[in-house]
Amino acid sequence: MSASVLVVFLYGLATALATGLGALPFALVRVVSGRIVASSNAIASGLMLGASYGLVAQGTTYGGVQTVIGAMAGVSFILVTQHLLRNADVQFGRARGAGARQMALMVVVMTAHSFAEGVAIGVAFGGGVTLAVLITAAIAVHNIPEGLAISAVLRPRGTSVVGCAWWSVVSSLPQPVMAVPAFLFVEAFSEALPYGIGFAAGAMVFMVLVELLPEAFQRARGRTVALLVSLSMVGMVLFQRYL
Amino acid sequence: MDPALTVLAYSTIAAGMGGLGALPLLSPGRSQPRWLGWANALAAGLMLGAGYALMDVGADREPLSGAVGAALGVGFVFLTQLVWEAAEGDRAESSPAYGYQVFLRNTLHSAAEGVAIGVAMALDLSFGIFVALAIGVHNIPEAAVLGAVFTGRGHSRPEAAGIAVVTDLSQVFLSVFVFVVVQAAPSILPFAVGFAVGTLVYLVMADLLPESYRHAGPTTIGLVTVVSLGIIVLLGGLRW
Repeated sequence: MSASVLVVFLYGLATALATGLGALPFALVRVVSGRIVASSNAIASGLMLGASYGLVAQGTTYGGVQTVIGAMAGVSFILVTQHLLRNADVQFGRARGAGARQMALMVVVMTAHSFAEGVAIGVAFGGGVTLAVLITAAIAVHNIPEGLAISAVLRPRGTSVVGCAWWSVVSSLPQPVMAVPAFLFVEAFSEALPYGIGFAAGAMVFMVLVELLPEAFQRARGRTVALLVSLSMVGMVLFQRYL
Repeated sequence: MDPALTVLAYSTIAAGMGGLGALPLLSPGRSQPRWLGWANALAAGLMLGAGYALMDVGADREPLSGAVGAALGVGFVFLTQLVWEAAEGDRAESSPAYGYQVFLRNTLHSAAEGVAIGVAMALDLSFGIFVALAIGVHNIPEAAVLGAVFTGRGHSRPEAAGIAVVTDLSQVFLSVFVFVVVQAAPSILPFAVGFAVGTLVYLVMADLLPESYRHAGPTTIGLVTVVSLGIIVLLGGLRW
């Protein structure tokens, strides 16, 4: 049984909307302090590292070398984006300066990583609807913690909960957009998939290492950060294994 | 050869590789702080890579048990550090007890790596050899950093090298111990895999990375970490 283009698009869109749910827990965060920024950074780091572990495990089944090449492209992408943002006067909502740059970078990274996930959805539909529905449901569900990661960076820097949900959904919009061409040209795209997956993982890991962790370590004790990173990473991996 | 002897042999090699880290100490002059940061970042990437490889190979076995094991591992190291700090306080770098504290911290650190080697060997001997060698390579920059701390405290270079190797001995002991225990009770293997992954990730985050960022900029630290992590992912992928 094969699926229509519209169905593939709608499934992709549903996964994007699920990302917005990740903003919900942040309705509870009102006071903004250095410690909350540090803890949120640590949680976002753990979730992103966990997601990357999952991605790399998937990518290496298609091809280890391609995944690593993709990852290096992801790292370069962050370096270039960082460089561009450094010279620009960035404004994110009401925030300006360093905080705004970091928020913009987070949205860019998570959006870029969604391209690979969109391709994964489209390629999965090429393999039949039953498998695809499973994979789409899986991606939708693990988009929720990705929304959580984005909100963890945006919320303590002054974005409203609705704003966090909005940017979370925006970051996932490449999923429906990429799912359709990937579905139509499965063979071409399944060859590109390990590069895309590697790119997504490399970009996320590097974002964690150059932006989120250094800031977290400045504002909180190493062992508090370590505890939050490792537990949220374990949570993410477990979540992905079961859903 | 008895598989336990294989474990002993390779974990001894891994611990001994730490001695190579003392080589930079032979060159005259004090080491640059940036180099210490990069050495730590290199060690961090290799350790994260070992954690990834363990998770990738061991994850088919009951992910829930794995997660419970990981939470136990993280909790164990966290509480150990908490108890130490409560008992000792945070020593200033100039205090005489600081060296002792660094020694203990590194012993705990390599003990956790010993668990990882033992678990990897129990999953599959050739995979275990791969992990043991990855940990061994990671011992080199780690020992270099440790050696620099101790020469900075007035120990002679051979003494500093000796201390660096001695901290790695807990690795040899624990790898064999964990291997034998898991062989005797295979049902604990998924918990043990999780425990090893949890402690490796926690220690990278609690010790290695904060130390790295103190000595060099985040961009170079990020690059060194991600490249060494990538190499382990690539090599692990080639083998299985």
